[in-house]
This record gives sequence, structure tokens and C-alpha cells, in this order.
Amino acid sequence: MRRSLSAAIYVLSTAIGVLAFVYPFVLDVRATGSLGVAHSQDAPLVTAALVGLSLVALLVELQGQAISAKTVAMLGVLVAITSVLRFVEVAVPMPGGFSPVFVPIILAGYVFGSRFGFLMGAFTLLVSGLITGGVGPWLPYQMFASGWVGMSAGWLGQISNLQSHSQRPASGTGDWRLEIVVLSVFGFAWGLLYGAIINVYFWPFAAGPVEQTWAPGIGPGETLARYAAFYVATSLGWDLMRAAGNVALILLLGVPMVHTLARFQRRFHFEVHPAHG
Amino acid sequence: MVDVRAWLLWALTVLVVASSARNPFYVVLLLLITMVVGATCAPARGRRGAPSSLRFAAVAVPMAALFNGLTAHLGDTVLLRLPAWLPLLGGPVTLEALAFGALNGLTLTTIFSGFAVFNQVTPVRDLVRLTPRAFHEAGVVLSIALTFVPQTTRSLARIREAQAVRGHRVRGLRDWLPVFIPLLVSGLERSMGLAEAMVARGYGAVSDRAQPLRTQALLALGLFVLLGGWLAFLFLPSWKGVALGGMIVGVGIIVGVLRLAGRAVPRTVYRPYRWSRRDTLVVLGCGLVLAVTLLPWPWPGRATLAYTPFPRLTLPPFDPLVGLGLLGLVAPAARMYSSHGCTHPHYPKAK
Repeated sequence: MRRSLSAAIYVLSTAIGVLAFVYPFVLDVRATGSLGVAHSQDAPLVTAALVGLSLVALLVELQGQAISAKTVAMLGVLVAITSVLRFVEVAVPMPGGFSPVFVPIILAGYVFGSRFGFLMGAFTLLVSGLITGGVGPWLPYQMFASGWVGMSAGWLGQISNLQSHSQRPASGTGDWRLEIVVLSVFGFAWGLLYGAIINVYFWPFAAGPVEQTWAPGIGPGETLARYAAFYVATSLGWDLMRAAGNVALILLLGVPMVHTLARFQRRFHFEVHPAHG
Repeated sequence: MVDVRAWLLWALTVLVVASSARNPFYVVLLLLITMVVGATCAPARGRRGAPSSLRFAAVAVPMAALFNGLTAHLGDTVLLRLPAWLPLLGGPVTLEALAFGALNGLTLTTIFSGFAVFNQVTPVRDLVRLTPRAFHEAGVVLSIALTFVPQTTRSLARIREAQAVRGHRVRGLRDWLPVFIPLLVSGLERSMGLAEAMVARGYGAVSDRAQPLRTQALLALGLFVLLGGWLAFLFLPSWKGVALGGMIVGVGIIVGVLRLAGRAVPRTVYRPYRWSRRDTLVVLGCGLVLAVTLLPWPWPGRATLAYTPFPRLTLPPFDPLVGLGLLGLVAPAARMYSSHGCTHPHYPKAK
């Protein structure tokens, strides 16, 4: 029962998050243009509020699943380390959208699972936003999207059946190569996807050429084509730097970092159960 | 001395008004208000050099104008024509498109400026204290992370020095490996010690309890009702009233769950906040601004908030009453009730 409710909360929160991102598109499909214009000013505020609410609901559920002191401490420290990387990024401008914060989120989610990954992604963006003065209406979207990065990295670990780190070789050879290739592809894909997702919340309200902007009543195919044109014209070059940076960092840090995290995972999960009877 | 909750309302009001108003006169007025409040209330450390909002505007406004001017070929006043064979850029470059782009950049600058002030005047500790009791674990994680950030920065400097002594120099990305991995290992070692200290102080006795089934069920119900209401609102126009009611009920259930979950976490406050008259003044000022810009008054001046430069650029209208209403956002800068600054929390005087 508890697992079913938990799964339902995950699905419903994610559905509300997704709907908040695509809400402006469906708003006008069923209505006349005038209604769309009337709502075009408050729609970003409504979506921001609902994204924040679904994020809140998901956090309540995630933290309500008996988080141990070890998990809390490790999460806090990993978030601090990753946030310092964001601070470095702000202090020393990186090319394009390159950011060192995504690789620790991906690798932590990969090793510790989807729940930890979601929390790591969301809290990293929150804390780094607080220390770098990046608090704003964009923050709930960033938290949600980076949470999805960590959560999907956890699924990748499960799908690849590679989470039995205890049986891994101690040195970075042989068996690690496939994992690193898979993680690099994953990091590259998220480098582009993150930008594409974050763009969606303001794109319907952005001004620009007709072939790049959304208009009430256009079909899903036309919407996708226009968004693709907008993305290629405005964001692709920027996001490619992020994607390439993710790949470079995973190739560089992937093996030693996964190895280190896996070692600490074993230490953190070490428990002594007294024998009964 | 303005309360952090009042500051939060102020920043959200700036966001709402900047998102709603498209008239450049009001947007510029709003930008000036945020700059005045920032100059009055931000600590001296955050005010060195040119205001960050001006630097942001120097980039955002011309870039937005240029991008929109080159790609949006709408408007009557054609300045020049780019060859049609240029993909996306080919076509007339109009004054109206440039003006609309600049207006978008100005709106973005205003939102940035409002939140820049908010970030400058609110100490991070006060923001963490706003964390609802339901987010006990999340608040602990946040506190640990914020506490460990300075330590991690110091560790980073120490490790770099230690590696430099060994002849290591950071020239490229690869050279960060001998710096980052020791940083990660030392951080995780510290988290082990921290976790043991937390358990020794009885942390696990509370947090190992899972969420009650009732809380989970109510949360799922609230999300379900909210999602259902929202979908009905979008796709069933004839059920609009019911759908809106459903959304409100869903939000109410989720907020109720937060309160319910918060009750299970007792929290004591060593230095409680005290709400002052000045905080009330800020709230009233924000309320005035929201009332002027959002409420459907049968008053023609409100229509001047909207403006579009298309199809031909005209002088935007300006209603002095709307302008006066926006001045409600200057309230944090008012010093009539207090001789202290705007940024420090309300601590009772030590005896």
C-alpha cells in the first residue's frame, strides 16, 4: 500500500510538473485566441506556482521515507561540494552553457539511486542559487529539471543493473569502459535536454519570427517544428558546450568518482543487526 | 529592518508587475524603484561599483533588441532590408521589432534587479528559517550544505596548496582530478563524522520514522484532485467553475498535508522574529501595487499597463495614478519607523 501511494505521488507530481511546462500550449488549443492573449500574462506565474507546489509535494514524499542521518549528512556535504563548483563557474566564466554541477548530480544519482539523485539535483540548484544570488522565478524550474537529471541517472543505474558496486574491480579498467560510455552519452543527452526543457517555460510567451514562435491553434507537429527552429537558432550552440563539458568531465572524473562514491556507499550502508534467539 | 517574509512578498510583487505590465514607462519606473530600494537597503558590501542591474541592462537590452530586430520582421517602420536568402535573418528590419526586443530586455532587467535586491538584503540564514516545519529533513540538508560551503571552499584552497607544494599546477581540465577527488573524499569523510554526531544527539530517533500512511494518502489525493481540476480547466470549458474549485481544493489539501506533517516536528526558536510596523507598511505597499495592477477595476487607467509597439511605434500612454500606485514598492526604503537599516532580523535586545 505504502509503495503504491509513493508511486502515485511520484507519477502525479511529475505529471503536474510536465503539465506546468506544456500548459501554455494546451491552453489555447481549446480556446479562442483572445482568451489566450488574456492569459498570456499570468500563465508564467500560474505555471511557476504549480511547478513549485508539485516540487513541494514531491519533496514531502521523498523526505518522508525515513531518511537516515547518514543519508542526510552525505546529501548535505555532496550538495555543498557541487554548489562550490557552481560558485567556481560563476567566478570563472565557462564557455557557453558549460557547467560542472551536472556531472556530480548524474554520478551521485547513478550510484545512490533515483531518490537520492532527485534530491541531490534539486538541492544543488537551490543551495547554489542561494550562495550565488541566483534566486528568482526560474529557480523552481531549474530545481525540477536538475532533479529529473539525478532521478533519471538513478534509473540508468537500475536499468544497466550496474548498481552492485560491491562486486566491481578496484581499478578503473575493463569493466568500467561500458559504464563510462553509457554515462557519457547520458551526460551529453542531458546537456541538451536540460536547456530544451528550461526553454519551454518561457518560449510560448517569447517574441520573435513567426517560424520560431508559438501561436494559438497550431498543431503539435507545427509546434515541435517551430520549437526546433527556435532551439537551433538560440540555444543549440550554448547547450552543446554544456553537453560536451559533461562528456569531458565524465571521461575525466567518471571512473574515480563512481569508485569513490561506491566505496562510501558501502561504508554508509554498513549496519550491524543483533542476532535474535 | 524589514522582515524576510515582507521582502519575499516585495520580490514576488516586482515579479508579478514586471510580468504583467508591458508599458515601458511603468517598467522603467519599476526598475528605478528597485534600484532606489537596493541603494537604500542593500548592505554597503553589495553596493560597490556600478549597480549590477545597470550592467545587466547594458547587455540584455541591446542583445534582445538586436535579436528581435534581426529575426522578427513585423512592423511598419522599415529601417533596412536584409537579403531574403539569409535564413531567419532575411527580410525587413523594423523599428517596432527593435523596440519590442528592447522592451523585453528591459522587463528581464527589472525582474533581475528585483531579485538582485532580494538576494542582497536577505541573509541566507533567514531564508533557511522560513523552511516550513514539514520540511524538517530538507531544512537539515539545506543547513548542512550551507554550513559546509565555506568549509569546502577552505578545503579546496588547502588541497590546491598541498598539491602545489608537490609541484602540481592547474593548467587544464585534467589537472583538476588530483584536486577534486581528495576534496570529494575529505568531504565524505566529514559527512561520516557528522552523521555519527547526529545519531549520538538522537537525530535518528525522529527521522527514522517514515511518513504516516494517512499523510501519504492525503498527499496523493491532493495531487490527484489538483491535476484533475487543472486538466478539466484546460479541456472542459463548460466545467470551468467546477475545475477551478477542484484546483483550489487540491491546493488546500496539499497545504493541509504540509501543516499536518509540520505538526509532527516540534521546533523551538531561540530568537523569534518580531513583526514590526515597517513590515506592515511593506505589505500594504505591495498590496496597493497588486490591487492597482491585477484587480479588474472599471477604471480606464489600468488599460495603460498594456502596450505594444506594433504595427507602428507610438508614444505609450501614462496614467499618473498607476504610476503613484507603483510607488507602493518604495515602502522598504522608508525609514519613518526605524533608524536602523533594512537588512537585519528583529532580535530582541540583550539584557
